[in-house]
Amino acid sequence: MVIEITVRNAENGSTLNMEVEPHTTIEDIIEGAAEFWQKEAGAYVLRRGKRLLKGQSTVQDAELKNKDVLELIPDPEGG
Amino acid sequence: MPAKITSWTETTPKERSPPPPERISNHRWFTERMNALYQEMRSELPLYIQKTAEEKMRNHSLAGLAKEQEVMGLMLGGAFTHDGRIYAIVRDVVTTNLDASISSVRFHEESMEGLFDSLDDLDFEYSIVGWYHSHPGMGCFMSETDVGTQQGVFNLPHHSALVLDPLNHELEAYYIHENRVKLRAMGIYWDEYQDPYRG
Repeated sequence: MVIEITVRNAENGSTLNMEVEPHTTIEDIIEGAAEFWQKEAGAYVLRRGKRLLKGQSTVQDAELKNKDVLELIPDPEGG
Repeated sequence: MPAKITSWTETTPKERSPPPPERISNHRWFTERMNALYQEMRSELPLYIQKTAEEKMRNHSLAGLAKEQEVMGLMLGGAFTHDGRIYAIVRDVVTTNLDASISSVRFHEESMEGLFDSLDDLDFEYSIVGWYHSHPGMGCFMSETDVGTQQGVFNLPHHSALVLDPLNHELEAYYIHENRVKLRAMGIYWDEYQDPYRG
């Protein structure tokens, strides 16, 4: 069953609404949001509340529900 | 199955006056060229960092120096406009446990939830306006890795990277413009009754 989630961009507060299916992965969601906001997908993580959503897990694994709000957080690397 | 975007909202920076000149200063760790840029742009700085946030970054870098490690965190605040120009304010910083060495740093994957706790503890609606990290004893510059991070993540006009060298007591800020690293003018500001020497 398709559900709708919201992804908040922690860099400016803008949001995306997305339709996802049970087998959509967290990586798919990150890639969709990163492409829309012209970001490097590999440098981001998604959280729901205080929980980090693992990239390989699916919407079903992560127990995402309709109308859930996720936040896209930078995971930078310095050298 | 890819996620399908159905709608979106956008935000634009709000109009707000920057901190007043009497509550702005340069930083004692500024390099010579940062000081020169500060003097040149003092009346219209693109980046203001709250004194307490600056202290946290500086002390974090000094703690990393003792362990011979880089440190890193996110700068939080907001982007605003005034008189047609955009500027950013850093009100606080957050970090968590790090995977770090003398020449590399990133958040420890298993400690991301500590970062989220810190974000949730903030008493204002935050935007991530940049990041900071240290180069212990290496001087201030943007490495190839740093540039990649700046281009891939912190690529909005008001985004900045702050680099501290806690051994040499140096601090510089940067941004990317047309794929080139530029020095970012910045100032430290304090709230009206925050001056510990007042009176």
